[in-house]
Formats: sequence, C-alpha cells, structure tokens
Amino acid sequence: MAAIDALMKAALALPILVVPAKASAAEVGEVGITLLGYKERGLMKVTEPVLWGRAEFLDAWEVRASAAVDIITGASPQLVTNAGGKPVQSISGASINDRRNTGDVRLTRRFGDFSLSASRALSKEKDYHSKSFGLEARWDLNQRNTTLVAGYGASNDRVLSSDDASLHQRRDTREYLFGVTQLLSPTALVQSTLSVSRGRGWYNDPYKLTFTFFADGPPILMADRRPDHRDSYAWLTRYRRHFPEAHGTLQVDYRYYRDDWGIRAHTLEVAWQHALDERWAVRPAFRYYTQDAADFYSPTVPRPQPAILASDQRLGSWGGVSPSLRIIAKLEGGVTVEGTVGYVHNARNLHLGGSSSEAFETLRAVYGIVGISRPF
Amino acid sequence: MTLHRFTFRAMAADNEVQVHSGGARLAEAAAARAIAEVKRIEAKYSRYLPESVVSRINGAAGEGPVGIDRETHGLLVFAGACHEQSAGAFDATSGVLRRAWCFESARVPGEAELAPLLALIGWARVELTENTVRLPERGMELDFGGFGKEYAVDRAALALRESGAESALVNLAGDLAIIGAQPDGSPWRVGLRHPRRDAMLLATLPVTSGGVATSGDYERFIEVDGVRHCHILDPRTGQSVRSFQSVTVHAGSCLVAGSAATIAMLKGEEEGLAWLGMLGLSHLCVRADGELVDRFAAG
Amino acid sequence: MKLAAWALAAAALCLAACTTVAPYQRGYLAREDMALDANPGFAKAIEKTFAAKEAASGGASVGGGGCGCN
Repeated sequence: MAAIDALMKAALALPILVVPAKASAAEVGEVGITLLGYKERGLMKVTEPVLWGRAEFLDAWEVRASAAVDIITGASPQLVTNAGGKPVQSISGASINDRRNTGDVRLTRRFGDFSLSASRALSKEKDYHSKSFGLEARWDLNQRNTTLVAGYGASNDRVLSSDDASLHQRRDTREYLFGVTQLLSPTALVQSTLSVSRGRGWYNDPYKLTFTFFADGPPILMADRRPDHRDSYAWLTRYRRHFPEAHGTLQVDYRYYRDDWGIRAHTLEVAWQHALDERWAVRPAFRYYTQDAADFYSPTVPRPQPAILASDQRLGSWGGVSPSLRIIAKLEGGVTVEGTVGYVHNARNLHLGGSSSEAFETLRAVYGIVGISRPF
Repeated sequence: MTLHRFTFRAMAADNEVQVHSGGARLAEAAAARAIAEVKRIEAKYSRYLPESVVSRINGAAGEGPVGIDRETHGLLVFAGACHEQSAGAFDATSGVLRRAWCFESARVPGEAELAPLLALIGWARVELTENTVRLPERGMELDFGGFGKEYAVDRAALALRESGAESALVNLAGDLAIIGAQPDGSPWRVGLRHPRRDAMLLATLPVTSGGVATSGDYERFIEVDGVRHCHILDPRTGQSVRSFQSVTVHAGSCLVAGSAATIAMLKGEEEGLAWLGMLGLSHLCVRADGELVDRFAAG
Repeated sequence: MKLAAWALAAAALCLAACTTVAPYQRGYLAREDMALDANPGFAKAIEKTFAAKEAASGGASVGGGGCGCN
C-alpha cells in the first residue's frame, strides 16, 4: 500500500472529515445496480435490472460498461379498428412475454486536453437484434471552460417477428453528433448537443394492423406500412445551476426532435435537487412531452388505400406529463442509495398547439427505480 | 451570507473559527459546537492535565494495561501508521526527550543525558489492543503532540459541517481545515507566516477543502553557538533535526497534512521533499538556507 | 441544416461571451448534482421507459443501439 493510502486509511478510521485525495489510487471507479419496474394500467409490466460500472486505469484510460435484461410481460395493442364506430386500439394478439438482453462497453483514452472514446453495444430480443458502435472525440479548450464533442455512430439492426418466421429485414442507422459544453460561472454550466440520424431499412411494425369498416363497402385490413428511411435531428440542451444558499441545484433539459416522417417533438424536464443535509437529498422533477403526428399516421384506412400508413398511436399527435420524485442517500464508504417513483400521463389534450389525434388513448403508468452504487 | 469570525484560546494558543452563514445565531451555534469539540480533545489528550487519558496511560507505564475508547484507539492506530510509513522517524513515544531538552535555557543536552531517554523510546514496544494500551517500561511516555491538535482541527471542521456549515474554516494556531469554497465560489486565502520574519507573510494559498498544516523550526528553539536547535527531535538520535525552516502541506484532512509535514521535517530536506513528492500532496517548503520550494496546487 | 446552424451559432456565442471560470472556482461545478449524466443506471432505465412510448429519441451520445420496443 502506498504511504498516502496507509495514512488516509488510518485517518478515515477516525470520526473526522477526510476529503479523498485527488488523483490518488483510492477511488478509481464505481459499480452500481439499478432495478426498474414499470406498470401500465391493465396492460404491460416491465422489470429491468441494469448492472453498470466505471473504472479508470493506467492513468489515461477509462472503461464503462453496462448490462441489462428487460423482462416484458403483458399485452400490447395490435389492432386499431373502427368496428365500434370510433377507431380504438384493441388487444387481439397473444400476450407478450419478451426478454431483451443488452450490453454495452465504452473505452476512453485521454491525451491531455483531448480524448477519444470507442463504444460497442449489443441488444437481442427474439424479434429484434441490434449491433452498434460509436466513436467520440472530446476536446477541452479555453482552460477547460469549453468542451467540444464530435461523434459518429452506426447501428446495424435486424427486424424479425415471432408471428412470421420469414421476416428477416435490415435496418441500418448512421448517427452524427456535435456538442459543446460551456462553464458559465462558478455555479452554472450548459451543454448543447445536436445529433443527426440517417436510417435506412425496414421500419414496419410486424405486429400492428389497421382494420377499417366502411358504410358502403367491404372493410380493409391493412398491415403497418412505413417509409423505408427515417432521418432525424435531436437537439438537446442541458443546463445546471447550483444555488449554494438554497442548498439546491436546478437541472433543466430541453430536447427538440424532428424527422422526415413529419414528427416534431419537444421534451422539457425541470428538476430541483435539494440537499437536506450531508446525507440526504431529494429531487422532485417534472417532465413534459409533446409530439406532432407522422404524415402517414391514421387510425383508419382512407380510400383509396395509401401505400404507407400506420395507426400506431406512438406516431400520433399527443402530449404527456410525468412528475417524479427521487430520494438520494449517501452512506458510509461512498455508497449511494437512490430511489425514484414517477407517474406518466399521456393524453391527446396534453398536446401543445394544433390538433391532436382523436384516436389517442390515454395512457397512465407508474414506474419505480431503485439503485445502489459504490466506489472502489 | 456574512462571514462570522470567532476567536478563542485553547491548547495554549489563539485560535479561530470562521463561518459563512445567513444568520449570526446559526454561525454562533456552529462555532460553539466546534470550539467545544476542541476543548474536549484538549482535556482528553493534554499531558498537562492529570485526569487526561494521556496522563493515565503514562502514569501506568510499567504496570498493567489501561482501558481506552475507540477514539483513542483510532488515534494510536494513526500514530502507528505514521511510524511505519516514516520508517520510524515519527514516534509517539519520543516525548521523553523533553526531559533533556529544555527550550527555556540555551543548553544542548549531552549524549550521556540522552542515552537513558532513548532507551525509553520505541513505538514497537507499545502494546496496543482494540480496548487497551500498555507501556511496558516505567518512564515511557505517549505524546499526542504530533497529531492531537490536527485531529482537533478535523473534529472541529466536522462539527461545523454537522451544524450545516457549507463554507467554514477552523484555524488552531496555523493548522487548519476548510470546508467548501466561499459563497462566491472563490477559495479561502490561507496566509502562511514567514518562518523567520514574524510579521511577514510567506505566501497566500488558495484552498477550498481539506486540511493545511505547517511544521517548522520556528515555534520553539534555542540557538547555541549560532546553531538553531528546534523542538522537532529525532527519536532515533535524540538530536534536534537539521531540516527545513518550514513545511506546509495540504491534504484531505488536517491530520494527514500535519503528519506528512512533521515526517518531512524529521526526514530532512532532500528525503523530506522526496517523501512529499511520493505522497502526491501539495506542499510549500522553506529550505534551511531560505530557498522556497513551491509545489502548491490550488484545491 | 437550419438546426445545425443554430447550434453552431449558439456555441460560437458562448465561446465569445462566457467569462472564464478558474480551476479553483470549480468546487460547485464538481458536485454530483451538477453532473450532466447522473447515475448511468437511472439514465438508461428512464430513457428506455419513455422511448418505448414516444416517437422522439436520441440526444447526448451515439452508438447506443436500438430496440424493437413493441
């Protein structure tokens, strides 16, 4: 054991404040486990344990990794039909019992003010496989007051179906990212990132159908048909400001999203993390989301029947609010225990501006996340 | 936010607590807790008080083990770590040398005087268990002088923190602990006294957290035939060390900073600088010839 | 590419206008609640929860991979 570690260890055994030595070998990483539970009223339940870790090594290297298993049980709406007059979602298919395994690893090497990361992510479900990689460069300048980031990512996915063994289609996506992080004052910083994604391939959802009845003719049953490309922009801006006298930190994230399907979406999350004392902190947060429908979204099949059409309400016009509360406790030895409970309420009348999708069915869900992490 | 300052006497010195606080009463309550903590530690570990833990342990030297609490055990374990890491240069049993070294009269003790005292020094002979400590030979002494004050600084800082202070400073005669940047985000400016010129500042150090401690040859010394003999004594020779004029160290706690500075003094200039470099702690030293070695990073 | 132009303009403005924060003034900025990406496990769990119900996705990093999210 290095001399400093021996002295620090002996000092840490005493009931005093000891600030960990900077850049010492004492803290080189952390590991954590997180459990997510999600329940949508009457519909679907998701449980997901995430195991993650981070470690620094050989001075200039850092590795981050995570692995997760999603277990989804319940039923998913498969059919939108106006059989009863108004178009509604109906759960016709068998219940889902799916399992998704994912893992990712990211390796970073620092070269002074410059750093390079490479990442790899894999995800596998019985009807969807994804393999992706990313490269990211960061550059600290202006005495680390400003950080620029540029990234490139590629994802090669395969769409399969549990109902149709012959379905085996590609979906390939390229992503580009540019961002800047700027320190604004000793208590404030902001980051703004633009990511551009260009996707080609199969976007049809093999499980979704639209079944439309007409007063004057035979009904039409149409499978989900979407464009074979999707180009999108996401512009994310994050702001953090600490208020020492109030013992709290304001966290604001805003994202603007648009794609060539005609979808425009705004996401705003505002949180206040309040330190109650050395050990406890609470973080109430409020998230608002609104999106405009895709051009080809329709809960009914019009006549003449178009080439592309989707009745999946995720492509409709609607909005959602989600309040949540997190409690954070710092325990002995740097162990952090956190818990979040949140409520999700998505409805057509929460849509911002313009007309919302009449067929959108209100969604209410609750979720809970607990996590524990510790440094090593 | 206003800066509230409180001065008080303890450990035979003038000391100070400073707290940034929105209210005078909050600051007062925090400072009172910190000051009470310093006085508690002084009473517990002073060798001048017959009822102190140290007096009881020393009084029982050569006899049976003396019961100790967890705090005392923790401090002795820390003293043991210092002894081990300094390869014996730091020894909590070296206080017996004071019997020969009297800094009131300008007299350097001879070898004959020191030899019997050196025989009473030896951390390795201290019998320490979880609940007890025993000095095996009559005349042996434990001395918390090398770390007691620094510990008190850290404890006072913790008391301030527990009282809700987010930006505060404890200064016990030049050894200090700091919690948090000042409200405008700037560091505290710690003024270091010049080791040779009383009224002059040697440097001003920016510090936002942790402890800063100084060890030097200027606190108590005698000069005989033009040679300065300071109060820092080598437990292996019994002689006053020939070393830096002063060593100031910044560490995660005042206790660690203080022991690092003292050990650097004991090791002497070249070895001392190598030791501080190895620890990786910020430091600022004045060599015996007055040359300044500034390896202090803000933090 | 109007968006990209906006982002670049905002970045340039920031570079020009922002005051410099000295390293020793970054005590508050180093707080955990000031981090852009807090607990990675939480971030992943929350992102997934919303991404499964919403049309919009993407944000702060690339190469994360997709899911069927049915």
